[in-house]
Amino acid sequence: MSTVPPLIVLLIDCDPDRAKIVEDGLRGAAVVKQAHAAHGAELLSLIRRLQPDAIIIDCESPDRDTIENLQLVARENPKPVVMFVENGDGSLAKEAVRSGVSAYIVDGLSTKRVLPVVEIAIERFKMFDALWRDLEKSKADLEARKVIERAKGLLMDKRNMTENDAYTAMRKMAMEQGKSIRDVAESILSVLTLLDD
Amino acid sequence: MGLEQRQLAIGFVPLTDMAPFAVAREKGFFERYGLDVTLNAENSWSQIRDKLALGEIDAAHMLAPMVSASWLEGAFADERFVSALTLNFNGNAITVSNDLFQEMTEADREAMTERPTTARALRKVLSRRLEEGREPLTVGAVFPYSSHNYAMRYWLGAEGLNPDRDVRMIVAPPPLMADHMKSGNVDIFCVGEPWNTVAEYEGVGRTIVRSNEILGDMSEKMLAVRRSWALSNPRTHLALVSSLLEALRWLDARENRNEAAYILSSDEYVGKGVHLLSPALVGRGALPDRRSLVESEDFLTFYRHGANDPRGDDALWFLTQMVRWGQIIAPTDIADVAARAYLPDVYREAAQRLNLGDPTNVDLETKEAARSNGATHQTFIDGRRFNARDPIAYLESFARHNMRIRPHQAG
Repeated sequence: MSTVPPLIVLLIDCDPDRAKIVEDGLRGAAVVKQAHAAHGAELLSLIRRLQPDAIIIDCESPDRDTIENLQLVARENPKPVVMFVENGDGSLAKEAVRSGVSAYIVDGLSTKRVLPVVEIAIERFKMFDALWRDLEKSKADLEARKVIERAKGLLMDKRNMTENDAYTAMRKMAMEQGKSIRDVAESILSVLTLLDD
Repeated sequence: MGLEQRQLAIGFVPLTDMAPFAVAREKGFFERYGLDVTLNAENSWSQIRDKLALGEIDAAHMLAPMVSASWLEGAFADERFVSALTLNFNGNAITVSNDLFQEMTEADREAMTERPTTARALRKVLSRRLEEGREPLTVGAVFPYSSHNYAMRYWLGAEGLNPDRDVRMIVAPPPLMADHMKSGNVDIFCVGEPWNTVAEYEGVGRTIVRSNEILGDMSEKMLAVRRSWALSNPRTHLALVSSLLEALRWLDARENRNEAAYILSSDEYVGKGVHLLSPALVGRGALPDRRSLVESEDFLTFYRHGANDPRGDDALWFLTQMVRWGQIIAPTDIADVAARAYLPDVYREAAQRLNLGDPTNVDLETKEAARSNGATHQTFIDGRRFNARDPIAYLESFARHNMRIRPHQAG
């Protein structure tokens, strides 16, 4: 008995032959859900419900822009995406990586190649996603520090507090109100600057 | 002067405003400049971008904001896109489902008869739905980097609505939009033609406001090429711009618009009936019982008003919207992107060679007068002006936004 839960893969492809190759290639390693009949809002709610580990989509699919938006806008619920390319001269088959999201598969897809490609896409996605989150977090931290400093300055200035007292007061308010110090600092800023006008 | 490349593959999305490509081919303008062009219909804007970036196609019919977006951090591959030709201004509209139209009319009949129609009635509908604990409305746009997305967001924001909080924004390709509306999955959408006309014609929804009433004279589609390609194929690029400029001039004549509708109706291009394509082109309503909203001279502007000049001001405005709605998340010198993404010199050379004079010089005096205080040519539904000299102050003047990076002046 394996304790590792199987991957959930959402497949958006109208080509039944290719779909079969994917299903065969992922057998035992992943649960494949077909989604070629769902579009737009329906497709998005399916993704929300299913929370797939990866999405495989035909690059000619009209749903590409819907999936694209999932990755781009506010990065709500992004997923690793693998794309199929079926064209002779193969220039599109160059591996293209954007924000760690997409991997292209050369045509002549074989059962054996499916799982490694999906696994690599997930790995790469996780890496980029972690980097992105770190970046977002450090940006937010920096922003929070600035806000806290400004609120502290205001308290010292308008309430004649020492730096230490100002910080302690904010921390106390945060604890009492169940808020972060940043939120407290922001309300101090808006209240004290409002009184100023 | 020989061309570096005679055979070109160009990708397009089947929409009415791909007309310049179809016309350039059918009327022999490509041929006149020694070009042998294959036109490939693509199913999505993502596909257009990927194929262009990877060299599968040489040039593309592209949403104007996508050209600037290719210069942003994290953009696709390392390819930057440039444009030397704007293909049209305007041409989109907002359509609401019949049910929503009814609800909006009941909420504020007066607001629904005002032109241009604002989102005031929608705001009332949304707050009523919120009180009643009903599902938020779903809003459809065609691509994250599109004037459709920005027009819809601008229209909502102008009435104090926050598109990322008060409604659910989704992206779906235009050909599926009317179906989504029919099945109740989308309540309101902003798309290009012929899809508003299709929704009206099939009785699925009502078109309530045109994009030129929201963002007047904003560039819509552009001819995009890879920057590296433009550098190594200057003569071919000039020939391509020239041939399309001739097609655009041909399209400008109203007497040619019916023929254009006929050309586009072929399965090779848009593949929809002439009755669905011509309303936007000839500026006449599709429905016998009422005047359609596309009845406007400037609903779809291919050439006049200096439409083809790739204007950095438009790129800059799109970039401010990317900041406003949280699409730009890394520090970016937006003025620099706006200056590098467009190649107005190539356009000017083509225009001069064609002896068009300089089509950008129409209304030169008024334009210069307007420019002296930094205002640009576009007009907005809320009466604001875009001051290209101070995009930061412009951005900060909006109450509704979803900025994820604090704008500040470089240097």
